[in-house]
Order: sequence, then structure tokens, then C-alpha cells
Amino acid sequence: MPHTLALIALLPLVGFLLNGFFATALGGHRANERVAAIVGCAFPIAAFALTIKAFLDLQAGGFTPIVEPLYRWALIGSSSFEIAFYFDRLSAIMTLVVTGVGSVIHIYSTGYMHHDKSFGRFFAYLNLFLFFMLLLVLGRSMLVLFVGWEGVGLASYLLIGFWFDDLTNAKAGRKAFITNRIGDAGFLLGMFLLYRAFGTLDMDTINGAFLTGSGAAMIVPASLVGLLLFVGATGKSAQIPLYVWLPDAMAGPTPVSALIHAATMVTAGVYLTARMSGIYMMAPEASQVIAVVGVLTAFFAATVALVQTDIKKVLAYSTVSQLGFMFLALGVGAYGVAIFHVVTHAFFKACLFLGAGSVIHALGGEQDIRKMGGLRTKIPLTFWTFAVATAAIAGIPGLAGFFSKDEILWYAFASAKGGAPWLWGMAALTALMTAFYMFRLLWLTFMGASRMSQEVEHHVHESPISMTGVLMLLALLSAGGGYIAIPHFLEAQIPLPPIVESLAHYEQTLLIVSIVLAFAGLGLAVFMFGGPASRPESIKQALLPVHRLLSGKYFIDELYDRVIVKPVAWFSEVVLLRGSDTLLLDGSLNGLASLAQRSAGLLSRAQTGSLHLYALLVMVGIVGALLWSWRHV
Amino acid sequence: MDKVHLLLLLSGALFSLGLLGVIVRRNALVMLMCMELMLNGVNLSLVTFSQQRGDAAGAVLVFLVFVVATVEIALAIPIVLLLVRFKRSMDIDRYSDLKG
Amino acid sequence: MGAVALLSAVLMLVLREPMRVALALITTMVMLGGIYGLLGVHFIAAFQVLIYVGAVMVFMVYVIMLLEVREAPGNRRYSRWLVPGVTAFATLVGVLGISVYRSSADVLTAPGAPPFSLTQFSTAFLSQYWLEFELTSVFLVAAIVAALAVIKVSRRVHGSAPGSANG
Repeated sequence: MPHTLALIALLPLVGFLLNGFFATALGGHRANERVAAIVGCAFPIAAFALTIKAFLDLQAGGFTPIVEPLYRWALIGSSSFEIAFYFDRLSAIMTLVVTGVGSVIHIYSTGYMHHDKSFGRFFAYLNLFLFFMLLLVLGRSMLVLFVGWEGVGLASYLLIGFWFDDLTNAKAGRKAFITNRIGDAGFLLGMFLLYRAFGTLDMDTINGAFLTGSGAAMIVPASLVGLLLFVGATGKSAQIPLYVWLPDAMAGPTPVSALIHAATMVTAGVYLTARMSGIYMMAPEASQVIAVVGVLTAFFAATVALVQTDIKKVLAYSTVSQLGFMFLALGVGAYGVAIFHVVTHAFFKACLFLGAGSVIHALGGEQDIRKMGGLRTKIPLTFWTFAVATAAIAGIPGLAGFFSKDEILWYAFASAKGGAPWLWGMAALTALMTAFYMFRLLWLTFMGASRMSQEVEHHVHESPISMTGVLMLLALLSAGGGYIAIPHFLEAQIPLPPIVESLAHYEQTLLIVSIVLAFAGLGLAVFMFGGPASRPESIKQALLPVHRLLSGKYFIDELYDRVIVKPVAWFSEVVLLRGSDTLLLDGSLNGLASLAQRSAGLLSRAQTGSLHLYALLVMVGIVGALLWSWRHV
Repeated sequence: MDKVHLLLLLSGALFSLGLLGVIVRRNALVMLMCMELMLNGVNLSLVTFSQQRGDAAGAVLVFLVFVVATVEIALAIPIVLLLVRFKRSMDIDRYSDLKG
Repeated sequence: MGAVALLSAVLMLVLREPMRVALALITTMVMLGGIYGLLGVHFIAAFQVLIYVGAVMVFMVYVIMLLEVREAPGNRRYSRWLVPGVTAFATLVGVLGISVYRSSADVLTAPGAPPFSLTQFSTAFLSQYWLEFELTSVFLVAAIVAALAVIKVSRRVHGSAPGSANG
């Protein structure tokens, strides 16, 4: 069927328009909630069905990429900008994840957002997000990708600040958007360079040129372009230094955190880098930078997650950390492995976030884990799904996370394209920390004695089937998702990096180390938090300054505020607002006006109203005219 | 100094005297009369030129000036009348409502 | 004759009473009429006396007599612009004189032999200069209309029998 790809992208847009125009006014009303929910969920599910069909078509065609031109957007001079869709193995995987996980999160939201006064608006925004995300992953040219890139940024802003009556939420949305835009500057510069060299922004063409080393690819400094594109990725995918928006983004409703800030939007940067792998294969310097930034981000975020007390914040920093892992993989040339981790991460992180949402829902809004505990028996479904997902992220063998994370660690160590022992070392330490803080979260939330207040405890109840059903599905995927051998599936398109010969035999060793680390983390957490509460307390007291540093998130936000935000604000206020705008512009305009007024006042003094004077002036004028006529005599 | 020059001088003098009268005299009616004087001066010079060149155009203009003068008087005097009724004075200097 | 005209014009400016000023003006006009006659353009002279003296000045005299009664005695004669006025006047006369002297002139034709007669004038007026002719008619109509308007205004304002503002 023609235009399948276009339809996949456009169906959610239709949902957005319908819900946006009709449901908002009546959102919250019982009957219309149902309509909004049906409209909101039907389109993503339809898109998912179409994606499966497209995938089958792709498979039938022997996996040659499907190109689907849609519309010529602009013709400027001799360059034409087309909107076209492109479907190959990489896009297929991404689209399946986006539509699949997206659809189930929509279903979850019908339960979570029940009785919210802006029910319809929520689904409208979610559909809008899906539309842009699909543009991003299905686009053939970087231009379409960028449209999607910006669009998901917009949707993210709208959804983070969804409950905008609270100013903090609105501010968080704004912070996300602005930080994104800073990264986009780098992205744009990279795109400009590419366009200038190739005259087109079609990613397949560009990649091919780089891989075969044809003419134009030689002119463009691959590392520079690679770095610029990576700057964009740091903004969107929350790496150092532009990660600061992600923890604040937890102000949005939990399904948003799950969909956008765990499963899909934040992986856009990873997708971009994997898609442009041709460039990065020719740019070892840029790749090295990516790997280092990735591993540092992973390590750094994990340390902060160790001491966070808000359930969503722990997961947020965990996301930043896992994204760091993905970039580490990208940096050492293991593009397919990074995508593998994207997929498994989507499963277990979405499950974790939605589970957290279920907990918050059960507790009537409480998010502080110090006030939880003992929920295992009260909300068992949530508990078990959460536990499975936690085990997955920690890397317990057999579950999805284990496979992807282990591959990353292996390539970090042994890849011939930049792998190094120290990279592996930091990553391994991070993995240990990941296991630790995730099990800490699990224990503090669900196990042990209850630390809840009486009335909260009284109201604890399991979530409706719309929520728990999704949780179960995602837990299953977290468990079994690792068996889909994605790196090998992608290998036909994006080759895996070669292994340094001398290190090849370490593979088994490292595998065992990974397993040990996972269980060590589990054990440590149980030791710390499974026993009396005094144990974590005494450790905390012993390391108080470190603890303070970590819970203050290294005070990076404060640093940014002082070094960047305040000077810019000062500049805008004083120089631009008062100086230029008020002084120059208003001043010159008002000055002109008052000049006109004053001169008019002066001139009007001549209007004395005395006829005699006028007549005198007439006489003087005549004299003057006559005198002037003498010039020619 | 021949005749033409004299006549022209006289015409100029009449005109200037009339203008001076407008400047100098205070009474509204007197000012009007001075304006008549100006018109007469102009008429004289027109006639002189017309004679000199043998052209009928001058005479036509003279006729036009007659008509204009008549019309002007016909309208100016009622206006002055009305104004005087309001202001109760014929002193031009008191009429400064258009000031500023 | 010219000298008398000039003298009476000066008198106009000097005399105190408006009535006397009017008489001086009449003198000037009559003298001018005489000058026209001497120049040979008799019909213009006739017009001058008829229109100016006969209609315009009569009207003025009439109005002066009407308003005389209300005039507050002891008014100052001259406005405050006397000195500058006279100065400008002197300048003007000087400039005009110099202009006249600088210009060249043909000798005037002998009086008694008019270069154009009334017939010639009328024909010219109605054929070549017909526009001016029409303009005069328009002017007169406009004057009548304006006069009527003034009557209306004065009636509205004063609400009683109108004044004598009738041409």
C-alpha cells in the first residue's frame, strides 16, 4: 500500500487535531473522557499496526530500504528540499519501539490521567509528540529529522509543563526547551556544513559518500561535523553539559516521563549518531570525545542517583546514566549495540517509570521514598513488575538489560575503534552503582516496614487494569527482550567494530565480572537497606560532605545559574532592555515626537492673531521678493 | 523721467500706502478702505501697462479687479458688522482669537 | 492729477475720523478716474467712477455712519506696528522705485488716440477672454449667496430682525 510510512507518521497527527480541537473544551467530563481516550489511543495503535506491515514489506523486499517521497517542500534556486520517508532496518527498529511502547503508554495514561481536568489536552499532546517522533525516525533527509527534532522538543515542553498552574512545572518545561535549543545550535551548524559539501541533506546519500570515501566526503572535516552533531545530541539526549533539564522534567505527569524521557525522545540523539555512522567511522577524534563524554555522564549521573529521595528523580538520573552507556557504545564504534540498548532500555525504563506512576497513584501523590515501604504485599502486581524491570536494568543475567549492557562493556574494553581498559573500568563501576541504587530504590519503596503516614496507608490500592496490564506487558519484554539479537540484525547495515586481537580472550572473564557486579550491587543494597535503618544512616553520617555534594547534584544547576543565567539575564535587562530598547528606540521615537511638539510650540508663537503683524510681514515679504528678483537685473 | 515711469511710481506708492495703512491703522473700516486703495494702485499699473503694449488683456484684468473689489466689499462689511456686534469694538487689536 | 491722488492717499493714513478717511479715498479714486481718462481709456474711467465711487464707497460711507455711534471715543489711531511699518514702507518704496528706474519703457502713445476702443475691448472680452467674463459672473453669484448666508447667520445668532447687512 503506498504511503504507508507517511500514514504511520500522520495518523497520530490526526489524533492530535481531533483531540486538540474537540476534547479539550470538554475534557474531564466522564463521557468525553472515554471519547478522548479512544481517539487518543486508536491512532497510535493503528500506526503500530501499519509499522508491522511496513516491516513485513521490508523483510519481503530483502531489507532493501524503502524510500517514500511525499512532497516537495521548497525550491530555492536550484536546490530542492523534499519531504521523504526512509525505512531500513534501523528505522524499522526505532519505529516499532516508538509506536509499540508509545501505544501501550497511551493505554496506561487512560488509567493514570483519569479525572484529570485536562484529559483531552493530554492525549492531544501525546499524539502530537508521536507524530514528531515518527517524523524524526522515518525522515530521509536531515531536514525532516530536524523538524521532528524540534517538534519533540516542543511536545516535551508542553507536556512537562502540563500542569502549568504550578509555576515550577512551567519553569521546568521552559528549562528543557531552552537547553535543547542550545544543543540545536551545534546541530544546525553541522547540518550547514554537510549541506554545503553535499548539496543534499539525505542521510543515506551522505552516509554512503562517507563510507565509500567519495569526493565531497573528503572535503568535509568529518570530526568537526561529528562533534557539532553530537552537541545537538547532548542537548536532546541529556549528556554533559546539557543534561540539566532531565531531572527537572520529572515535573510532568509520569506517563510523559516514561514515554518521552526514557523510551523515545531522549534516544533521538543516539538514533542520529547511529544513523550518521558513516561520518563517525571516519572521525576517530569525534568518536573518542563521544565515548569519553558518555562514560563520564554515566558515572556522574549514577553517583547522584545513589542518594536521591524522590522516586522519579532516581529514575531520571538513571536514564541519564543509561544514555551515557549508549553514547559510550557509539563512541567505540558499536552502533548496533547502542541501538540494542535503546530498545532494552525502552522496555525496562518505561516499565520502571510506569511502575513508579502506579506507586504514586496508589499513595495518592507521594513521591518521597523515605515515606514509603512495605508496599510489596499491598500492591503486588506493581511490585513484581517493578522488580523484574529493576533486575533487568541491574544486569541480572537472563534478562534484557544484561545482554545489552554486557555487550557495551565488552566493546568498551576491546573495540579496535577506541576501546580502552579505563573506559571499561568506569563503565563497570557505573554498572555496579546502577545495580546498587536500583535495588536500593526497590527496597526502600516496597520492602521492609511501612514508613507511610496512617491515612496514606489506608488508601493504598492497586492500580486499574489499564495500568497494570501495561506494566505486565513491559515486564515481560524487559525479561525476554534481550533475546532479540538486534546487533546482529543491524550488522548487515551497520557493521560492528572489530575486536583488538590481543584482548579477544578476555570476553569470558569480563562476562563473569559483569555478573558478579550485578549481584554485588544487589547484595550491597540488601545489606544496607534490608536491615535496620541505622546502617544507611551511619554510613551517611560518616560520609556527610560527600553525601551533601551528591544530593545537591554537584550543585551544577547553581553553577550554571551563577555563571551563565545571571550574566545573560543581566545583559538582557540592562544593556538590551534599558539601554537599547528604552533609551535608544523609545528615546528616539519619543524624542522625535517631543521635538515636533516643541518646535511646533515655538513656531506657533508666530501666530499672534494680530492682523497688523501679518500685514507687516506681507510687506516685508514683498520687499524680499523684489530684492530677490534683482539677481537677474 | 517719462510718463510711464511716473505712473508706475504712483501706482507703487498707492499700493504701498495702502499696505502701510493696513499695518498702521486700528479701525477695521479704515483698514478695509486701505485695501481698496491697494486695489486701486494695482488697477493703475494694469491700465498703464495695457496702454503701453496696446493689449486688451490688461483692460480685461482691470475689469476683473473691479468685480473682485465689489464682491469683497459686499462681503467684508457684513462680516465686520457681525464681528463688531460681538466684540463691541472696532479695534482690530482686540481681535486675537486666532492666537497661537 | 497724480499728485492730488497721492496727497489724498497720504491723508487717508493720517486722518483720525473714519468719515474723513472715506472722503479722502473718494478723492483718490476720482483722481485716478481722471488719470484713466487722460490716458484715453474712457470706458475704464467710467467704470472706476461708477463702480468704485458710486457703489463701493457709498456702501462704506453708509456703514461708517451706521457704526459711528458705537465707536468709543478716544481710540488711539495707530497700531503698535507703526515704526516697523513705516520702515518697511520706506524700504518698499525705495525698492519699487529702483525697480521702475531700472526697467526700460517705450514712449507712451499720445493721449487722445486710444490704442483700443470700447468696441474692441468688448469683443475681446467676449471672445478671447471669455473665461474672465464667466468668472465675473460666478463671483457675483457667489457674492449674493454669501450675503444671504450672512443674513441667515445673523438671524440665527440674534434671533431678531436682522441688521442692515444688505448690499
